[in-house]
Amino acid sequence: MDRDSIGILFRAAADGDAAAWKSLVEGLSPLVWAVVRSHRLTDADGHEVYQTTWFRLVQNLTRIREPERVGAWLASTARHECLKVLKAARRVSPSDDAGTLDRAADDHTPEQAVIESEEAAVEQERVRQVWQAFQDLGENCRRLLRVLMATPPPGYQEVSAALGLAVGSIGPIRQRCLGRLRVLLAERGVS
Amino acid sequence: MNDDELERELRRAGGLFDPVPSDLLQTAVEAFALRTLDAELAELAFDSLTEPARVRGEERPRMLTFHAPGLTVDLEITGGGADGRVVGQLIPPQAARIELLGRQPAALTADDLGRFVCEVVPTGPFSLRCRLAGAVVATEWVTV
Repeated sequence: MDRDSIGILFRAAADGDAAAWKSLVEGLSPLVWAVVRSHRLTDADGHEVYQTTWFRLVQNLTRIREPERVGAWLASTARHECLKVLKAARRVSPSDDAGTLDRAADDHTPEQAVIESEEAAVEQERVRQVWQAFQDLGENCRRLLRVLMATPPPGYQEVSAALGLAVGSIGPIRQRCLGRLRVLLAERGVS
Repeated sequence: MNDDELERELRRAGGLFDPVPSDLLQTAVEAFALRTLDAELAELAFDSLTEPARVRGEERPRMLTFHAPGLTVDLEITGGGADGRVVGQLIPPQAARIELLGRQPAALTADDLGRFVCEVVPTGPFSLRCRLAGAVVATEWVTV
């Protein structure tokens, strides 16, 4: 979703257009979700952060000054909520949720329907291998790549807001992390 | 495969293996109905959780402060869920009807000294709509 359409949808939603709000949610949810998932929360905590982030935006519809930057606003809000949850969890009951990312998708997406056809089986296996290799990366790479993975591709302003990284450092880290992923894939015979 | 191609492939994998849960997306779409057009927003101004950690292992209540023009809402949250409680204070002190919005909505009342109590800690995001004499103030959504 490009900045101009975000701005248009945002202004319409602020004026009370529910359809514009729906489009905005659909367009930017993958970004919010990617930020949540890059922070390794439990599923329940992740769902709450996602909801809190959108509820906050509803409250701030008439207050945000730069509608074109609402993606960065959402990413930053989600990040801060994630950090709070992590802090609270450490204080109350330290738990390791390494398994969280391993669960299979619980929803049927259009892509799934496509790859269920037989001729796509090879392709499916390849995508699975890429996903597996991604999960075997180190924490920092996994966080960055999980955010970059959002659909549509987030801008660097949004990535910066999502992870608290300087915009200028994102490119080099991305290059390094994709390089590591490529090595992992090569080791597993995936070209 | 170059970096851009690899990133595209990752994007496909993410969409396939870790998509936004559809029920969650629906709650965000429906959140539009929660717009509080008539209400003044009380922004979260202080959260004890963002303060540096103090003595390890010491269980302290979570303190939240919300500011709106002319009204401050202080919350002290002890414990969690049904075993916990939320004690609130309106400043300046005044009586008000307060609606707790969230997964388990509740109606609360602030007494003449601005004090109110909720005998459970809400799970999930919540916001307080405070109906004062002549104004409505809603606290920013938070999750505790």
